[in-house]
Amino acid sequence: MSPATIGLASFGGALLLLLLGYVVLTAPGAWFPAASPQSWGPRDASLTRGSGAIDGDVLMIDAAEPGSTAVLSIKADIRSTDYRAIAWRLANVPEQADVRMFWRSDYAPAKMNSVPVTVAAGHLLPVDVSREATWIGRITGLALAIRTTGAQPVQFLGVTAKPRGALELLHDRAGEWLAFESWTGVSMNTITGGAAVQDLPLPFLLAAAAALAMLAALLLLRRFSPIASLPLALGAIFVAAWIVADLRWEWNLARQAIATRDQYGGKDWQGKHLAAEDGKLFAFIENVRAKLPPAPARIFVVAEAHYFRDRAAYHLYPHNVHFEPYRDMLPPSAALRAGDYLVVYLRRGIQYDAKAQRLRFPDGSTLAAEVQLAEAGGALFAIR
Amino acid sequence: MDSVTLSLGLLLPWALGVAALLAARDAARPLAAPGEITWLLGAGYLAGALLLTFWMRALSLAGVRFGAAAIALPLLAVAGALLILAWRRGGGARSIGAMREAFAPPAVTGLARAFWWGLLAWIALRFALLALEVASRPLFPWEAWIGWATKARVWFEFGRITEFVGAREWFAATGNAWFDASPANPATLPLLQVWASIALGNWDDALMNWPWWQIAVALTLAVYGGLRRLGATSLEALVGAYFVASLPLANAHVALAGYADLPLAAYFAVAVLAFLQWAGTRTLRDAALAACFAAACPLIKIVGAVWLLALLPGVTVALAPRQGRKLVAIALGVIAAALVVLAQTSFVVAGHPLHLDFAPAWTSFSDSLFLLGNWNLLWYGVIGAALLAWRQSLTPPLLPLAAIVATGLFLVSILLFFPGSAQWLADAPGVDRAMLHLAPVLVVFMVLAFRAFDARWTAAHPLPIAPDAASATAATQR
Repeated sequence: MSPATIGLASFGGALLLLLLGYVVLTAPGAWFPAASPQSWGPRDASLTRGSGAIDGDVLMIDAAEPGSTAVLSIKADIRSTDYRAIAWRLANVPEQADVRMFWRSDYAPAKMNSVPVTVAAGHLLPVDVSREATWIGRITGLALAIRTTGAQPVQFLGVTAKPRGALELLHDRAGEWLAFESWTGVSMNTITGGAAVQDLPLPFLLAAAAALAMLAALLLLRRFSPIASLPLALGAIFVAAWIVADLRWEWNLARQAIATRDQYGGKDWQGKHLAAEDGKLFAFIENVRAKLPPAPARIFVVAEAHYFRDRAAYHLYPHNVHFEPYRDMLPPSAALRAGDYLVVYLRRGIQYDAKAQRLRFPDGSTLAAEVQLAEAGGALFAIR
Repeated sequence: MDSVTLSLGLLLPWALGVAALLAARDAARPLAAPGEITWLLGAGYLAGALLLTFWMRALSLAGVRFGAAAIALPLLAVAGALLILAWRRGGGARSIGAMREAFAPPAVTGLARAFWWGLLAWIALRFALLALEVASRPLFPWEAWIGWATKARVWFEFGRITEFVGAREWFAATGNAWFDASPANPATLPLLQVWASIALGNWDDALMNWPWWQIAVALTLAVYGGLRRLGATSLEALVGAYFVASLPLANAHVALAGYADLPLAAYFAVAVLAFLQWAGTRTLRDAALAACFAAACPLIKIVGAVWLLALLPGVTVALAPRQGRKLVAIALGVIAAALVVLAQTSFVVAGHPLHLDFAPAWTSFSDSLFLLGNWNLLWYGVIGAALLAWRQSLTPPLLPLAAIVATGLFLVSILLFFPGSAQWLADAPGVDRAMLHLAPVLVVFMVLAFRAFDARWTAAHPLPIAPDAASATAATQR
C-alpha cells in the first residue's frame, strides 16, 4: 500500500472513529429510538405575553421595552422518555436576553418547570432535558420566555422535540454543516461555515481527525512501509482534510451563485439595484436624480438608519454629496446655502411648512426651501 | 459588444504587466524554468494594474480626460514595444517553446495525475462560481460604497481624479472637492473600477468589479509560479495555489468585491514571493521587483505601509542570518515591551493619549481561527508546519520567510491584544481582515516549511536500498 493510501485510509478511519466517539458522548439514551422527532411551527404557537404577528413562515415577536418579557407557548402531548432534547429555532435573539424554557407534565399538572436556555449568535442552543428530574410523564405544554434587552424583533421559526438517537445526532450535525449561509453584511469579516450555531464545528472535527490519522499513519508506516515516506502520508492526510472542508464551502458557494443569478440575472445595473435589498431606496433616489440639475449639485443626505443614509448618498454620486457616515446627525442648518439640496429619507424631526416654504430643524432653526419631490418616507428639498 | 470591449479592457493591464515583466526579467533565466510563465502571468497582472493606474494618474494631472483611446492606445503601444524588446532579448521561438512546456501537465502518473487534473478542475469551478457573483451582484459591502466606489463614480463621470476631503474641509470648500467616509483611501482600486467602466462604456457597479476576480486569479497563478521557482514540485505548488484560491474569506472578498483587503493580500504575497526569490539569487533585478511590489502595498490600502514594515525583518535575516535573527528578536521584544508600558501607563503627547487597553477578544479570535469557516484548515496547517519544521525555520532558506510570518503574526496580535491600536491607522481593519492580508503568505510558509520537514525527514530516514539496486551500485562503484 502506498504511503498516500495509508494516509487517506487513516484519515477516513479517524473521521469515523471521532464521529462514533461524539455519538457515544452526546447520545443520552437509545441510539436507535422508536420515536421520531416532533415539530411545531409558528402557527402552532401562541404568544401569551408580548405581541407579534405571523409573517410568512415566521412569527415576528415585536421588540418590547427593555426588561419586558415575551412568552410563547405550545400545546404538546409527548412522552418525556421518548424525547431528550428540545430545539427552539429562533433568530435575532439578543445576546444579553434572559431566555428560559418552561414545561408542564401530567405527572404534576399544577407545577411549571423551567431551565435556562443559552443564546449564541442570535440563536438558541438545544435544551438537553434528559437529566432534568421534572421531565417525567407526558409533557402537555412547552413555553419559552424571552426577557429582551434589545430593540429588535425576535423571529420564531419553530420548535422540535428530539429523541436524540445516533442517526438523528449525525443528521443534525450534517444539517448544521450544510446549512446555507448566504452573503450578509458581516460576510466580509466572518464566514460561519454553515449554521450560525454548531455543536461540532467541521474544521475542528477535520483537524482532530487529521491529527489522529497522522499518528495512525506513523504507526502503520513503521510496520508496513518505509518510514521515509511519512511526509507524503502526512501531506495526503492534511490535503484530504482541507478538501473535505472546502467541499462544504464550494457547495455553499454554488447555492449562493444560483440565488444571486435568480435575484440579478439578466438585469442591467439599474435593474439589479431595483432588485437589491435597498430597491425601494434606489427607486426613490432615481426619482430624486431626475429632479436635480446636472452633476455636481451640493446635496445633504439625512436618514436615521446609517444604512439608508450612506446608501442613499452612494446612489447620488457623482453629485457632491455630504452624509454623516456613522452617526445620525443633521448638518448644521447654517452650512446649507441657496442652491444646495437636502434629501430626507425615513428621518423624523425635520418639518416642512408648505405655506411659508420653510424647513424646521429639531434645534428650532428654519431655512427657506422648496419641495422638489415628496414620496412616502422621503423628500427632496431645494434650499433657497 | 459591451462585453467584448470590457473583456479587452480587462486584458489590457494583464498584457501590459506581463510585457513589462518579460522585458525586465533576466534573459539568462530560461522561460521554461519551473513556474516562470505562471509567475509572469500572475505577477504580471498585478504589475500591469499598477502601471495602468499610474498612467491614469498622469493623464489626470495633465488635464487629459479619461477615455478608452487616451488610456488604452499609449499603453497598448508600450506593451507592444516591451513585448518586442522581450522577444529580441529572449528569443521568440524559445518563448513559444517555453509556453508549451509551461502548460504541459507534470510528469506524474496514476492517482497523482488524476489528483492534478481534479484539483485544476476544482480551482476552475471555484473561479467560475466567483465570476458569476462578480458579474451579477451590484456593489454590496458597506465600506465599498462609503469610501471606495464613491471615488470611482465621480472620477468616471468627470473623466479625471477629483479631490476627496474630510467633512471640515468639505464644508469650507466651494464645491470643488468631494466627500466620503474615507477620503484618504488610495486611488489605485477606484481607478481600476473607473477603467473597467470606461471599457464597458457606462457605469455599472457590478461589472466594474472584475479586477477583484482578476486579482484572485493572478494571486493563484503567482503563488503557483512563485512556489515552483522556490523549488516546490508541481504538485506541491498546485496544492499551495489551491489553498490560496479556496480560502473562504478571500473568496468572499472576490464575490462581494469592493474592499481593498484581498488586493493588499495579493500585492503583499507577491512582494514576499519576489523577495524570497531575491534571497536565493541576490540579483538586483529580483530585488527591484520585490521592492516595487512591496512599495505598491500602501498604494492599495493605507495600512499596506505596516505590511511593508513586516518585510524588514525578512530582509535583515536574509542579509545576516545569525545577527539578524537576534536583531529581529530584540526589536520585536522592545516593541512588545513598549506596548506593555503603554497598557500600564497614561502618557499624553501633544494632546494625544497613548494609553492602550489590553482587551483581547480571545473567544471570537479562537473561534475565527479554529472553529468557523473563514480559513478552512489554514491555521491548523500553519501550526502543524511550524512544529514540523521549527528547526529549519531558524536557518536559511526558510528563515527570511519565517521572520516575515512571525512579524506579521506579531502585528496581527497587536490588533488582537490592543484593539485601540487601530485608531493609529486610518483604515485599520478588524483582526479577521488583517489576517486575510497575511493568509496567502501563511500558505506559502506552510508549503515551504512542509518541504523543509520533508527534506530533513528523508535525509534522516533514507529509503532502504533493494538488494538488486545495492549490488548494481556496488558494481558501478567498482
